[in-house]
Amino acid sequence: MQSYEFYTAESVEDCLGYLFEKKEVCQVIAGGTDLIPGLRNESIRPTFVLNILEIESMRGVIENDDEIRIGPTTTFTEMIESEILNRTLPLLVEAAKYVGGPQIRNRGTIGGNIATASPAADVLPAVLALDGVLEIQSKQAGSRFLTLAKAIEAPYKIRLQPDEIITGILINKLPPGTRCGYEKLGRRNAMARARMNMSMVIHLDEKGTISDLRIVPGAVLPVAQRFQEAEKILLGKKPDPQLLETAAEALAEKILKITGIRWSTEYKLPVIKSIFKWVFNRLVFKN
Amino acid sequence: MTKDKNKTLLRMKVNGKPLEVMVNPTWTLLRVLREELRLTGTKKGCEQGDCGLCTVILDGKAVNACLVLALQAESKEIETIEGLGKEDNLHPLQKSFIENGAVQCGFCTPGILMSAEALLRKNPKPSVDEIRIGISGNLCRCTGYSKIIKAINAVTKK
Repeated sequence: MQSYEFYTAESVEDCLGYLFEKKEVCQVIAGGTDLIPGLRNESIRPTFVLNILEIESMRGVIENDDEIRIGPTTTFTEMIESEILNRTLPLLVEAAKYVGGPQIRNRGTIGGNIATASPAADVLPAVLALDGVLEIQSKQAGSRFLTLAKAIEAPYKIRLQPDEIITGILINKLPPGTRCGYEKLGRRNAMARARMNMSMVIHLDEKGTISDLRIVPGAVLPVAQRFQEAEKILLGKKPDPQLLETAAEALAEKILKITGIRWSTEYKLPVIKSIFKWVFNRLVFKN
Repeated sequence: MTKDKNKTLLRMKVNGKPLEVMVNPTWTLLRVLREELRLTGTKKGCEQGDCGLCTVILDGKAVNACLVLALQAESKEIETIEGLGKEDNLHPLQKSFIENGAVQCGFCTPGILMSAEALLRKNPKPSVDEIRIGISGNLCRCTGYSKIIKAINAVTKK
C-alpha cells in the first residue's frame, strides 16, 4: 500500500529546506499529470511528497533585457496565454499547444515536462532547440546553471541531486528575423503521446545564407538532443533542395546509429525525414 | 494541521460551499469528491488523465480530478456537475444537450459539460474549432461528438 507524508512548500527557501532534510525519499510534485498515475500503480513509492505548486515565485513568465525567465510551475495553458512568450518565443507556445488536452494543459507544467524527461515529451525538445538553461538551487550549494542539453542524463532522468530543484528556465531572446517551427505527429490529435515531433529554429542573414540552425527531433531517440550533424550540413549555405536531402539523410543516419534497426524503423525514418524537410521548407519559404 | 492517524484536514470550497474533510495524503481529489463527499456525478474512468470523465473546475480551470492529489486542493474552489444545475433548474448547457440529443449512454456527459462550461466562461463565443479543442480532453464512445459540438454551439448562439 502506498503511504507518504504530504507537504506544501510556501516559498523556495521552505522547499529547499524540506528537500535538504528528506533527500532521496522525497518526491516533488507540481502538476502531477505524469506523477500521479505512477503513485497509483506504485511504480513510485516516496516517503514524502513535496508540493511546489503554491510557491508564487516559481510560476509565471518574466521578460528581461535579452532573456526570458519561465518559472518551473508555469502551466502549459499559462504559456499558451503568455503575451511575452507569444511575442518572443512562439516556438514554446506552439509546443505547449500540443500537450495532452485542456485539462492536462491546465495542470501540467514546463518544469515537470523537463524534470520528468520523457523521451516523448512535447515541450522539452523545443526548450532544447532554444538552448534553454536551467537554474537549479539547493540549500547547501545555492544556485547553479546547467544547459538543458547537459542536464538530460537518460530517459526519465535528469542530472539533479536529491536536494536540488529547478527554480527557473532561462532562454535567450532570439535575434530579429529568427524563424521557429514545431510539428507533432501523434496517433490522434488530442492527448496523443508524440510518436515524433520536430522543433526547429532557423535564421537567414541578409544574403539568404543560413546563419543559425537548430534541429531537435523529439520522441525518436531515448534522449532528445540537437542534431548538429544535420545542422552543420546546412549552416553557412543557402537553402537548396539537394543540401536539404543530404541533411535529412544525416538525420536518419544518426537516428539509425543510436537506436539500431527496430520494428518501427521502416516507418519512422522516412517520416522523420519528411517532417524535417516539411518544417524547414515552411520556415524558409513561407514568406 | 490536525492529525488523525494518517489523515490530514483538507479545507476547500465545493460548489460554493466551504467544507472540511479528513483525507489520507495518498487520495486524489476524485476519491474525496466521490467517496467522502458522495458527489458521484463526477465519474471515475481511466484514472490516468486520458478520458476526461472526472473533469471538474478548479479555480476556474477544467482539470482531471484523478490527477490532483486531494491535499493539492487545499483552499481551492472546486465546481462539480452537482453545482452546474439542479434537476428542476437545468443549466443552459444541460438543456441544450437534451434538446440536441447529445447524450447517449451519458457516462461522459458530466465531464464534457464541465469542460464546456470552463470553455464558455473563458470564451463565450467559441468557433466550432475552439469547441472541438475545448472538449478534446474528453472521450465519448457513443455519439461521435457531432451532436455534443452542436449542443455546445447552440448555447453560444442564444
